[in-house]
Amino acid sequence: MILPVFTQSQKRSVGVLVAMGAIGSTIALLIGELNQRIFQVWGFVSEFASKISIPSFMLSFVSMVLQCSVLIGFISVSVMFMVWWERKISAHMQSRLGPMYTGGWHGWAQTIADAIKLLLKEDIIPAAANPWVHRLAPVLAFVPCFLCYAALPFGEGLISADLDIGILYIFALSGLSVLGIVMAGWGSGNKYSLLGGLRAAAQSVSYEIPRVLSVVPIIMFVGSLKLTQIAQAQTGFWHVGGIPVLPRWFIFYPVIGQLAFIIFLIASVAETNRTPFDIAEAESELVAGFHTEYSGMKFSFFFLAEYAYVFLSSGMTTTLFLGGGSGPLFPSWVWFLLKSFAVVFLFLWFRWTFPRLRVDRLMEFTWKFLIPWSFFNILAAGFMGLM
Amino acid sequence: MTTEIIRLPGQDLSSEEMILNLGPQHPSTHGVLRVVLRMDGEVITGSEPDIGYLHRGTEKLSENRTYPQMLVISDRWDYLSAMSNNLVWCLAVEKLMQLEVPQRGQTLRIIMVELNRIASHLVFFGTYGIDIGAYTPFLYAFREREKILDLFEEVSGARLTYNYIRIGGVMADLPQDWVGKCRSFLEWIKPRFVEYDILLTENPIFKDRTVGVGILTKEKALSYGVTGPNLRGSGVSFDMRKDEPYSGYDKFQFEVPVGKNGDCWDRYWVRIQEMKESVKIIEQALDHLPEGECNAKVPRLIRPPKGEAYAHLEAPRGMLGIYLISDGTEKPYRVHVRPPSFINLAILQEILVGMKVADVIAILGSIDIVLGEVDR
Amino acid sequence: MILYFSNIYNVAKALLQGMGVTFSWLFKPAMTVQYPDEKLKTPERFRGALTFDKESCTACLLCIKACPTACISLEPAVDPTTKKRLAKVSWYQIDFGKCNYCRLCEEACPTKPIKSVRHTHEYEWGMKQRSDMFVKWIREETLK
Repeated sequence: MILPVFTQSQKRSVGVLVAMGAIGSTIALLIGELNQRIFQVWGFVSEFASKISIPSFMLSFVSMVLQCSVLIGFISVSVMFMVWWERKISAHMQSRLGPMYTGGWHGWAQTIADAIKLLLKEDIIPAAANPWVHRLAPVLAFVPCFLCYAALPFGEGLISADLDIGILYIFALSGLSVLGIVMAGWGSGNKYSLLGGLRAAAQSVSYEIPRVLSVVPIIMFVGSLKLTQIAQAQTGFWHVGGIPVLPRWFIFYPVIGQLAFIIFLIASVAETNRTPFDIAEAESELVAGFHTEYSGMKFSFFFLAEYAYVFLSSGMTTTLFLGGGSGPLFPSWVWFLLKSFAVVFLFLWFRWTFPRLRVDRLMEFTWKFLIPWSFFNILAAGFMGLM
Repeated sequence: MTTEIIRLPGQDLSSEEMILNLGPQHPSTHGVLRVVLRMDGEVITGSEPDIGYLHRGTEKLSENRTYPQMLVISDRWDYLSAMSNNLVWCLAVEKLMQLEVPQRGQTLRIIMVELNRIASHLVFFGTYGIDIGAYTPFLYAFREREKILDLFEEVSGARLTYNYIRIGGVMADLPQDWVGKCRSFLEWIKPRFVEYDILLTENPIFKDRTVGVGILTKEKALSYGVTGPNLRGSGVSFDMRKDEPYSGYDKFQFEVPVGKNGDCWDRYWVRIQEMKESVKIIEQALDHLPEGECNAKVPRLIRPPKGEAYAHLEAPRGMLGIYLISDGTEKPYRVHVRPPSFINLAILQEILVGMKVADVIAILGSIDIVLGEVDR
Repeated sequence: MILYFSNIYNVAKALLQGMGVTFSWLFKPAMTVQYPDEKLKTPERFRGALTFDKESCTACLLCIKACPTACISLEPAVDPTTKKRLAKVSWYQIDFGKCNYCRLCEEACPTKPIKSVRHTHEYEWGMKQRSDMFVKWIREETLK
C-alpha cells in the first residue's frame, strides 16, 4: 500500500483553510441574521431621507438599484469562485494541483486574470453571420438568469422579490435562455454551429419538462408557489421519542422526495449543458458547438451564464429539497450558501466522472425515462396526500 | 471544418450528399489524419481517410543509414511503443546475420516491450476516454505512464525514443535498483486496473456509446489483414507472441484476450485485458531473470550477408513487420515496414458506413492508430 | 418488469461506484511537480545536451561515422612545423538542430576513462537564433 505523504505546503494549505473557516464562522455568527441587519440599516437610511425630505419613490428607486447591484456583485463573485473551485476540484480529483500561481495562495486570482484576458480580446464577428443576432445572443443567454436571481431566497427574508408565483417565474425565465442558444447557433453563420445550437435547444426544451414536473409534488405538499413558504415548510425536525432525528427536508420524504430530488438534479445538469449532457459545447465532438465563433467578452458572457445557471439550479435545489436556510447555530444565509455550494460540488463531481451521452440516447433518456417517472411521482404524491 | 453541399445527379434527384471534413487539426484524430466523410443527413454513406501528413520518408532514409543508425529512425515509427520498433528491426537484422541473443538479453527485451505495451495501451485508454467525454481517466492513465517512463529513463536515458534494444542484445544492463522500482510499479498499477474498470469499462454511459457500435466482423477483419487488438476484438485468437513466439516468449504463461462481437467495447476491453496480461509477463520475467551476458558478440561494423529477411512481432497496435534486403554492405539495400496502423486504418471505410455522425469519433478512437506508423 | 428495475439498480450502482473512485482521489496528494520551483532529478543515464572535451579527443572520426544525422563535424589539428596530423582536434562542431540525442556518438568514442563526447544532464536550454544551434569547441592554436 502506498501511503500518501503530505508535504509541508499541503499541511500549510489545510491550515489556511481551517483558519479561514474559523474566521468565517465567527464573522457569520457576529453578523447574525442578515435581513435584520439590513432592516436596521435601511431604517436609519429612510429616517435620514425623510428628515431631508427626499420623496419615497426616490428611496424605493435607490433600493431597487442597490438590490440589483448586490445581485450582480454576488453573481460575479460566486461565478469567479465557482470557476476557480471547479479547476481546483477537478485538479485534485486528477492527482494534480490546478491553479497555483496567480495571486499567490493556490492561484485564487486565476479567474480574475482570465476575465481580464477575455475582456482584452479582439471582438470577431464572422462574415457570414448576421451581426445583430450574433451580438444579442449572449445577452439573451445571460439576462434571464440574472432576472431569476431576484426570486431566489438567500436565507430568511433575504429575497429581492418575494413573488407569489416564485417557482413559476423562475422556470419561465429559465426557458428563455433557449432562445439565446438558438440565436448563437444561427448567428455564427456556420451550418454546423446551427445544427449544434438546434440540438442544444432541443435538449434544453426536453429537459425542462421533467424539471418542472418533478417539483410538482413539492408544491402539492406545501400548497403554494412561493419560495419562501416552501423553505419555511422545511424548518424543524421530525421527532422520534422526543429526540430530533431527521430535519423536515423534502428530500427525506419517503420515495417521493428522493425521486423528485434525483429527477430534478439530473434535469438541472442537462439544462445547464454540463457533462454528461454537454454535447452542445464539447470540443471532441464532430459537430461544432453553438459558441465556437464567439471570443472575448461575448464568450465570457456564455461562460458566466453557464455558471450562473449552475448556481441558480443549486440554489433552487437547496430551497426546494434541502431546507434552504434552515439549520442550527449559523444564520440562515450561511446555511443557504453551504448547501448550495454542496450541490454545486455535486455538479462538478458529475462532470469529472462521467462520459458524455450521445444525442439520441439523451433524448430517449428524458422522454422515455424521466418524464414517466415524474408523472408517477405526482401520482404517488397525490395518494400520499389523500392518506 | 468546412462543409459543402454537393448535389449528385442520379436516379434519386432529391438526394444530396453532404461532405464533412474531419480535418487534420482536430482534437480527436489521434495525430494528423484527415477523414472526408460523405453523409446523407445523420447517416454516413462513405469515408476516405487522407494520410501522408506525417510522412518523413524513413524507408528511403534507410538506404543511407547503417544498421545501428536505423535504430534511431525506427524509434520514430510508432512513437508510443518505440521498444517494439527497435525490437523488430533487431530481429530482422539478427535473422539475416544468424545471431543468437543470450537468454538474459532476450528476457530484458521482453520486459521492456511489455512495459511499453502497458504504456501504449494506457495512452489508448486515456485518449479514448476523452473522445467519449470522460476527462478524468486520461489524467489517471498518464500518471501511471509517467512511472513507466521514469523506469525507461533510468534504463535508457530517454522517455520516448529509447534506442535501447540493439542488434545483438540491449544497450546496457539494468542499473542497480531498477528491478525493485519495476516491482513497486507493478504493485502500484494492479489496483489501478480495478479503478479503471469501475470508472470506464463498466460505466453504463460508456457502454451505451460503444456496445454495438462499429462492428467489425471476423471475415472482414481477416480479409482486410487487420491484426492486433482489433482482430482479437472480433473473435479471432491470433497473437504473434503465442502463435510464432520470438525472443523467448514461449517460456512465459499468459492468456490472449479475445472479444465476442467486434464492436468498439470489445476492442477496448481486449486492450485493458492485455495490460493485465503484460503485468503477469513482466512479473514472471523479473522472477526468472537469468544471469549472464546480455549482449551477443557483434562485429564493430555490421555487414549482414547478402539476402533478404522478414521479421514480425506483436506490437501494441498489431503485427509490425520489417522486410529487409541486404546487399552485403553496411547499409541496407531496401527496407519496407509493414505498419499495423496503416493496414488497420483501411477498415475505417467499411465500418463507418451506416453509422451516425456521433459515432465516428468513438469508432476512430477504438482502432487506435498512431500517425507516425501510418505515414512513416 | 423485474429486469427493468434490476437494470436501473445496476446502472445506478455502477455510476455511484465511478463517483466513489474520483472522490477517493480527491483527498490524495497530487503527483505533479511545480516545475520552475521544484525540479525532478534526472537519472544517471539521462541523455541531455552533449558536451565535448577538446583536450582528450584524438580526432578518430568514429563519432562522425556513428551519428545518424551527420551533425558532427571536426578538423584534426596539424603540427605547424612537421605538417603532420596530430591526434588532437583543431575544432569540433555539433549542430544541435540535427542532433537526435541518441548517444550513438558517446558509445562510439574510444577515449578512456571519460569519453570525449558525452551527454550531460542539461535539458533546460533554448536558443533564440538558428545560428546558436551550432556549438563549436576550438582549441587555442592552429587558427589561421
